[in-house]
Amino acid sequence: MSDTWTNRLSEYLDGDLPDKERAALEAHLPSCADCRATLEQLRRVVARAQALDDRPPAADLWPAIARHVGVVSLNARRARRRVSFTVPQLAAAAVALTLLSAGSAWLLERRQPAQRAAQSNTTPSPILTNAGTYEANPRYAAAVADLERVLAQGRSRLDTATVRVIEKNLGIIDRAIRDAQSALAADPANSYLNLHLAQEMRRKLELLRQAAVLAGART
Amino acid sequence: MLTTLATLAGLALAQQTDTTVPVRAGARLEVNNFGGEIAVKTWSKSAVRIAASHSSRDRITIDASDQVVRVKSESRRGPSQVVDYEITVPAAMALALSGVYTDISVEGSQGEITAETVQGTVNVSGGVGTVSLKSVQGDVTLEKARGRIDLSSVNETIKASQISGDISAETVNGDISLAQIESANTEATTVNGDVTYDGTIKDGGRYRFSTHDGDLRVSVPEKANVSVSVSTFNGDFSACFPVQLTGKTKHRFSFTIGSGTARLELESFDGDIRLCRPGQLAKDKDRNENKNHDQDQEEE
Repeated sequence: MSDTWTNRLSEYLDGDLPDKERAALEAHLPSCADCRATLEQLRRVVARAQALDDRPPAADLWPAIARHVGVVSLNARRARRRVSFTVPQLAAAAVALTLLSAGSAWLLERRQPAQRAAQSNTTPSPILTNAGTYEANPRYAAAVADLERVLAQGRSRLDTATVRVIEKNLGIIDRAIRDAQSALAADPANSYLNLHLAQEMRRKLELLRQAAVLAGART
Repeated sequence: MLTTLATLAGLALAQQTDTTVPVRAGARLEVNNFGGEIAVKTWSKSAVRIAASHSSRDRITIDASDQVVRVKSESRRGPSQVVDYEITVPAAMALALSGVYTDISVEGSQGEITAETVQGTVNVSGGVGTVSLKSVQGDVTLEKARGRIDLSSVNETIKASQISGDISAETVNGDISLAQIESANTEATTVNGDVTYDGTIKDGGRYRFSTHDGDLRVSVPEKANVSVSVSTFNGDFSACFPVQLTGKTKHRFSFTIGSGTARLELESFDGDIRLCRPGQLAKDKDRNENKNHDQDQEEE
């Protein structure tokens, strides 16, 4: 499908198209079966994502998490992007974070049983707890909290320089998230800002996951 | 005197391992090194030569089968500390290199490469097929590779040049520079840094460059057919050539060059976005840096 309107369907769905272009697209839709089909698919994806419930982690969890948080091959990411980018907060807030919240910490802990046992008496260090506020998205907050807990438990195994670098970079991402949140507060329908926020939230999860894996390795 | 004694003690402890093992075509090399260096070069022989400098307390183990040559080090008192490897392999041999406090370098490879370290640089020349290079606290540099390229850092820069294939580059706190690129699929994203892309825009290709706090500089060849979407919250857009903006909203607009079959997405939350012709970007950047330098000097 190479219709000139294809790339604008996301903005249409987001309500981000200027009036004139929205009217032109609506006039175009009755004569374009491809655009109608794509639009319908996008609406279904949104509806499905909104209907998702928390589920217990499946046995082979990480591949699914990785797919959903974007830790996948470039081609796979590109194939998915058309959908994820059409629904701004779908990518980070709905599907990915639901799965991640339920499963990431479980998966990491499952890989380190001995370490987990040794950590039962350990108070998590506050130094790796981030100050970002995500009250608006409890699933995301839960996912971040899960990973931070795993990371704090394995922190003593990390080199202090590595801890500093991770903290510094989590801080950079947190700042980006706060910037995007502030901008969105003033312009909540802006699809770019929604996408940008989702990207940074996903990036934070990925860095936390990477750090948690490092904490479980010999460093 | 003390220096001399320390040197003599060091010499007494230093040990050299030098082993060559024959390998079949298609075999893979796996090296894991806690600290030190892994330097890989290529030759035309069907053999792998492993030369290692290490403490006399450490022992290098080489486990070779038809499919894989595994190299690692062990110490009598637990994990070995610092080992410097110089390894020579057949050019087409696939490489899986990993470490923690380890610098990794590869030169002349024509095979797949995976290289991961935590505190160290990754510097690769060559690579065919999947080339995946990652460091947390070190620069990642790649040149003269082709295939599916995946470059990742956290706190440092990523540089790639003379690359052909799909490219994904991601860092958090660092610049990304992609030069002399031949690609139909490229994505580069950072949070705190600039992104520069100087390469092809192929018909039907997809390109995405994003940063939160930094500038984007992207080259668009004169005869490109590309739909460009630009998003910025608090930055400016400029181009070295005339463009006709369409679909303009508050923080987003687009325009089409030629038939627009390729798609180019440019996003900078708090930085400027500049499009130029291939070859102009470097001059443009130099000019800006000189300007900033002059401003800094004036402020001083």
